[in-house]
Amino acid sequence: MAGIKTASGDYIDSSWELNVYVEEMGPDADPVRLRVTGDTHIGGVMLQIVDKIQLSQNWSDHALWWEQKKMWLLKTNWTLDKYGILADAKLLYTPQHKPVRLLLPNMRSVLLKISFSSPVFRAVIETCRILNIRHPEELSLLRAPEEKEKKKKKDKDTETEKIHDLTGLVLPGGSTQQMYKGMPAYFADSAETEECYKVLSVSQTNLTPEHITKIYKPGSVVDKTQINSRWLDSSRSLMQQDVMTNDKLWLRFKYFCFFDLEPKYDMVRINQLYEQARWAILLEEIDCTEEEMMVFAALQYHINKLSLTSDPLAQHRDSKLDDLDSALSHLEVKLDSAAPTNVLDSIEAIPELKDNLRLFRPKKLTLKGYKQHWVIFKDTSISYYKSKDEARGEPLQQLNLKGCEVVPEVNVPGQKFCIKLLVPSPEGMSEIYLRCDNEQQYAKWMAACRLAAKGKTMADGTYQSEIQNILSFLLLQKSNPDCQIAADAENMNTQALVSPRYQKKFKAKQLTPRILEAHQNVAQLNLMEAKMRFIQAWQSLPDFGISYFLVRFKGCRKDEILGIANNRLIRIDLSIGDVVKTWRYSNMRQWNVNWDIRQVAIEFDEHINVAFSCISSNCKIVHEYIGGYIFMSTRSKDQNTALNEELFHKLTGGHEAL
Amino acid sequence: MEQACDDIDQMFSNLLGEMDLLTQSLGVEMIPPPSPKTPNTEFSFSVGFKDLNESLSALEDNDLDALMADLMADINETEQKTFQAQKPSSSFQRNSFTDSEPGFSVAASCDYQSNIPAAYTQDYEDYFPPPPSPPPKPNFDPPPPLPELSEPLSKEELESKAKTDKIKLALEKMKEAKIKKLVIKVLMDDDSSKTLMVDERQTARDMLENLFEKNHCDCNTDWCLYEVYHELQIERWFEDHENIVDVLSDWTRDSENKILFLQRKEKYSIFKNPQNFYLAKKGKDAGKEMNEKNKESLLEESFCGTSVIVPELEGALYLKEDGKKSWKKRYFLLRASGIYYVPKGKTKTSRDLACFIQFDNVNVYYGTQYRVKYKAPTDHCFVLKHPQIQKESQYIKYLCCDDSWTLHQWVTGIRIAKYGKTLYDNYKFAVQRMGLASRWPNLSKADPTVTARSSSSGAVQANGQIHQKATPVISTNPESFKHAEVCKEKKPNVGRDLEQAQVQPIPSTNYQQIPKVALRVSKIPPPAPARISSQFYSSAPISLPSSVKNINTNALSPLPPPPPSSLPPADVFSLPPPCENDLPPPPDDFYDPPPDFLPPPPPCFATGNGASLQPGPPLPPPLPSSNQPKPFVKKPIPLPPKRLDMTGLHSEEQRLPRPAPAGGGQPDFMSDLMKALQKKRGSNS
Repeated sequence: MAGIKTASGDYIDSSWELNVYVEEMGPDADPVRLRVTGDTHIGGVMLQIVDKIQLSQNWSDHALWWEQKKMWLLKTNWTLDKYGILADAKLLYTPQHKPVRLLLPNMRSVLLKISFSSPVFRAVIETCRILNIRHPEELSLLRAPEEKEKKKKKDKDTETEKIHDLTGLVLPGGSTQQMYKGMPAYFADSAETEECYKVLSVSQTNLTPEHITKIYKPGSVVDKTQINSRWLDSSRSLMQQDVMTNDKLWLRFKYFCFFDLEPKYDMVRINQLYEQARWAILLEEIDCTEEEMMVFAALQYHINKLSLTSDPLAQHRDSKLDDLDSALSHLEVKLDSAAPTNVLDSIEAIPELKDNLRLFRPKKLTLKGYKQHWVIFKDTSISYYKSKDEARGEPLQQLNLKGCEVVPEVNVPGQKFCIKLLVPSPEGMSEIYLRCDNEQQYAKWMAACRLAAKGKTMADGTYQSEIQNILSFLLLQKSNPDCQIAADAENMNTQALVSPRYQKKFKAKQLTPRILEAHQNVAQLNLMEAKMRFIQAWQSLPDFGISYFLVRFKGCRKDEILGIANNRLIRIDLSIGDVVKTWRYSNMRQWNVNWDIRQVAIEFDEHINVAFSCISSNCKIVHEYIGGYIFMSTRSKDQNTALNEELFHKLTGGHEAL
Repeated sequence: MEQACDDIDQMFSNLLGEMDLLTQSLGVEMIPPPSPKTPNTEFSFSVGFKDLNESLSALEDNDLDALMADLMADINETEQKTFQAQKPSSSFQRNSFTDSEPGFSVAASCDYQSNIPAAYTQDYEDYFPPPPSPPPKPNFDPPPPLPELSEPLSKEELESKAKTDKIKLALEKMKEAKIKKLVIKVLMDDDSSKTLMVDERQTARDMLENLFEKNHCDCNTDWCLYEVYHELQIERWFEDHENIVDVLSDWTRDSENKILFLQRKEKYSIFKNPQNFYLAKKGKDAGKEMNEKNKESLLEESFCGTSVIVPELEGALYLKEDGKKSWKKRYFLLRASGIYYVPKGKTKTSRDLACFIQFDNVNVYYGTQYRVKYKAPTDHCFVLKHPQIQKESQYIKYLCCDDSWTLHQWVTGIRIAKYGKTLYDNYKFAVQRMGLASRWPNLSKADPTVTARSSSSGAVQANGQIHQKATPVISTNPESFKHAEVCKEKKPNVGRDLEQAQVQPIPSTNYQQIPKVALRVSKIPPPAPARISSQFYSSAPISLPSSVKNINTNALSPLPPPPPSSLPPADVFSLPPPCENDLPPPPDDFYDPPPDFLPPPPPCFATGNGASLQPGPPLPPPLPSSNQPKPFVKKPIPLPPKRLDMTGLHSEEQRLPRPAPAGGGQPDFMSDLMKALQKKRGSNS
C-alpha cells in the first residue's frame, strides 16, 4: 500500500497525495486526502474514499470525475498513471445518475434521474426505458433555452406548476416488462406513479388560448434554426457537456422517421409523438393550410373528449370489445324502446324522423327565405311536403342523401341551427338547407344526415352516439362566451385547438362549425386511432420532418438554409423560402467534416460535391443529424435485433469516435 | 338501347302481374288471403328483380344472346345433373302447386304486424330446411319440400316467440339476399364485347380476373376496366379495389357511358418508375432510369411509412371558370389534403393557400377532346367531379395542363392523395397475379388445394370472390332466394305458360348462338372447358325444344343446398355424384321426360371429361359416379374455380368439378335471363 513512511515522517515510497471532493460532503467541504501511488488503480482509490469518509450509504452508483479533463474515470482497473492523473488533478467523487427536470414532448415536466456518465445516446435509451417509450434512438435531449430574467419572474407561479417526480421508480431487472392495470408494472406501485403514467400517456386536455400564445413561437426560418443548435452531443456524456444536477432539459423526437408505431405497445410513445406534433402545429413550427388546421383541431377535440370520458388506461383493451359493448348497449336501447310495442318493430323498423322544418333551396335569382315544410327522414332519404296533411301523397321532392356533403351552419348564441346539404344527382349537386328550431332537433337531424351520407340509416348503432357528439359540441360553443376562464375539464375551448394565427382569424362562433364539419370525418375513431391519424396528417404536411440550419455554402456570400429531412438534404433560399436544390441520401457517396474550419463536405453520385459551413449551430450537430438519419435507415424490420449502438456512434461520432 | 329501356316498365309491370297472379292463385286455393298484405310480398319480389332485369333489358339482343350462350355452356356441361334434377323439379312443381299454399296460409293466418316477414318465413322454411335436411340425399330429393310444408302448419300452434325467431332469421336472410346484380357489357380492345354479370360485392379486380379468364390474355398490370362518360367526354380506369356495382349504379338509365377493357400503362406507372414522380425535377419529363433496388426503397419510403407521401406537385394549370368558356391560369399545389391554389397577391406559403378542392367526394377523370368541346388551351385535361354527377354542372371542375406528362403527374398525384396505400396494395396484388399467370403452364398439374391456398392467402379480394364463386346462388343470394319462389310458385302457373310459349323461341336463340360461340372459341386459343361443351351441346338442344324446361328445372336443383355456406359446400357439392347414383330411383313417375334428354348428356360428359380421360362417353351415369366424387369435393374450394378453369385445360379432374358450382350458380341467372329474353321477344314481336 502507498504511504510507507520513515520514522521522521518522510514518505519513502513514491506515494503522493490525491485530493478528492465528495459530492455528499457538500460543495464547500474540504476534499478527502488520499495517499496514493501511480499504480493505484481507480477501484482502490474509490475504496479508500469510502473508507475515509465513514458515511454509510449505497456508493455503487458513484464514480470519479476528473474536473480539468472533463472526463469520467470509469475504468476501475486502470491505474492513475494510465489515466495520467497527478497530484494536481481535481477529482470529484459523485453519483453517475443525477436528477434533471425533463420537459417531455407533451410539455410536461418530470423529475428524473438520468445518467451523467454515459453518452447521451445511452442516457436517452435508459430514460426511454423508464418512460416506456420504444425506439429511443429517435429521441434526443436538448438544452432548455436560456430564460430571460424578466420572463422568469412573471411565470414563476406557472413554472412551478407541477413536476412529476419519477426518481423513485425502480426498473425491474428482466428484459420483458410486465403490464399491470394497463401500464408497466413498475408504474402501478403507488397512486403517484400511476398519476405519472397518466401524465405520460394521456394527452393534456385543458389548454387555453393563453397557454399557447404565451409559449415562444418561431417566427421565421431563422428562428426555426435556433432550436437545432441546442441538441446535445449524443456521443458525449451530460457531465461532459456541462449539464448540472437539476438542470432543465428537453426530451424530443429528433429523427422524424418513426419506426413501427404500434398502438398496442406504444401508448406513451404515440401520445408523446402526438403531443409533439400538436405543439408543432399550435406553435406554428410547421405551416399548414386552413383546411388542414380544421382537421387538426377536430382531431384534438376528439382526442380530448375521449381522454376525458373514457378511462384512458382502459384503452389498451381490445377495441373489438368496445364495439361489442356499444353494440350490446345499442341492442338494449332498442329492446327497451320496443318492449311495450311489438317485437317485430324492433327487428325491422328503421326509425324515421318527421317534423316541421324550415326549408330553403337556393336558386338563381331568387331570394326566397326559409319556408315551413313537413319533412320526413326515412332510410337515407328525406322527403318533404307542403304540410303534414299532404304527407300521404307525393312529396314535393325526395332526396337520397347517400354520398352527399353535410355542412353544419350553426350559431348557438344566435339560435341558428341549419344543416346545409349538397346532394349529388346526375345533374350536379342540389343544395338544400334545413333549419331546426333547437339543439335537440338539430342534433337528431344532423346525425341522421351524416349517417345517410355514409349510406347508413338511423338504425345504425352509431346514431345515438352521433347525436351525443353533436350536442356536446354545441355545448362548447354555448358556454364559451359566458365563461371564458372556465377551463374545467368538461369545457374545452375551441380557440385552444388552433394556432394563434387562426385564433385571430376566426371568432369562436365561426370556428366551431368549421371544426364540427371536420369532426364528422373523424368522430368514429377511437383514441389511439385518432392520435395516429393526427400524426399521419402531420406527416403529410409538405414541410414535415425538416430540421433547419443556417449555413453558408462554399463559394457563396450569403447565408442560406439547409434543411435536413429523413431522406434528403434541402437547400433553401433564405429570403424567398424557395427550395433551391434537393439531394437525397440514396445518392450520397460520403461526407466528412473539417472540424477546424467547421465545414461539412458531402459527395454525391455523379461527382456532385457540396460543402458548407454551419453558422447557426455546431457542425457536429449537422453531422450527427445526417449520420443519424442514415443510421435510422439501416434499422431492420426484425423486432428482435438490438440497437446497434456502435454503428450509431460510428456514423455520428465524428473524430472523437475514431 | 332506348327501346330496350322502354321495355323496362313493361317488364316490370309484367313481373308484378305475374306475382299478382301467383299470390292470388295461391290465396284462392287457400284460406282467403289477407288481401292488403299479400301485395307487399309481391313488391319485395319485384324489387329484387328490378335491378337484374333492368340491366338485362338494357342490353341489346345479341348481347343477351351472348350472355345466354355463356351461361348455357355452363349449364349444358352440367347436363347430367340437369336432367336428373328435372324430376325433382317437376315433382316439385306439382307439390308446390298444391302444397305450397299451406305454407302461405300459415303465414297469412298468423297475425303479424308486417306480413312481408311472414311471407318470407314461409319461404325460409321451404328453402332453407332445418339443419337436419342438409345431408346429401334430402337436398336432391324432390320430396323434402313436402314435409317441410307441413311443418309450418304445426308451427301455427307454437308460441309467437318461436315465430319471431324465425322471422328474425328470415329477415337476416333477406338482408343477405339483398345483393344487387348487374349485367354489364364490356368492350374489348378489338371492338368485340363481352357481357358479364357483376354482383355488388365484386371489385374491379374481380372483374379483371374474370375478363382475364375469358380472354386468356396475359394478366399484366396494365389491364384496366375503363369507364367512359360519353356526354361529359371524360374517362378513367377503375381502381382495383373499387366496387363496380356502386359506381355503375350512379349511371343514369339512359346512359351512353361505356366500360372498356384495355391496357393503360399509366395505371401503375407510378410503381414501375416511382422516380419520375418523386424525384423528377420541376418541369422535366420522365425518363430517368433507376435501378430496381432503389425503386423499391423509394416505394417503401413513400408508401410503407406511417403515412403515404404524396409527390410534390405544383405549377400553373388552366382552370375552366364556372359556367364560362374561358380558361384562367392559376398556380396550383397538390397536398395530401387536397388541391390548393395561390390567391392573387399571395405567396405560396401554406397559410396563404386557398383550398380548391378536397378529394373525399370526388374522383379524377381524364377529359378527352376538350379543345373542341370546351375550347381548352390543350387537350391534356383532367376533371374532378362527384361520381354521381352525370351531366354537365357547375360542380364539375375542369383543369387543363400544358402537356401530357404534367397531366399524368397530376392525375397520379391525386390518386395517391385520394387512395393512399390502397393503390400500392392493388399494384402488389396485380403483380402477384401476373406472376401467377405467367407460371400457369407449370402449375397446371398442381393440385388444386395448393392453388387454393396460395390464392386465398394472396389477397382479401380473392377471398371475397371465393364466396361468390363457391356459393353463387345459394341461400345468400337474392336471386336464388327469389328463385326459390319463382321456380316453385311461378312455374306452376305463369312460369309454365311462359315456358310453353317460349319453347319455340329459345331454340332459335340457340341457333343464333352457335356461330358466335364457335367464333369465340376459335378466337381464344385455350377455351375454357365450359365453352367447348357449350358448343358441343348447343347443337344438341336444338333438337329438343324442351330444353327450356331443362334449364328452369336446373335452377331448382342447386337450390336445396343453400344452408351450407362457404365451407360446407365441399360436402354439399359432393352430392352431385350421388345424384348420379340417384338417377335410377327418381325415374318412377318422371322418367318419361328424361328419356329425351338422356342422349345429350353422354356426349356432354365426354367433352366434359376431355379427350385425355378414359373413354367414359357412352356410359353416362355409372362411370362418372365412380370417378367423379373426388373432383367434386375439390371443386367447391372457393377462388380456385377460376384458376382451375385455366389449369383445367390440362387436367380433366379439375374440369369436371366445374359443373357443380356452375350449375349451382348460373342456372339461376339463367331463368332470369330466359324470362327477360322471353319478355323481350314477346314485347318486340
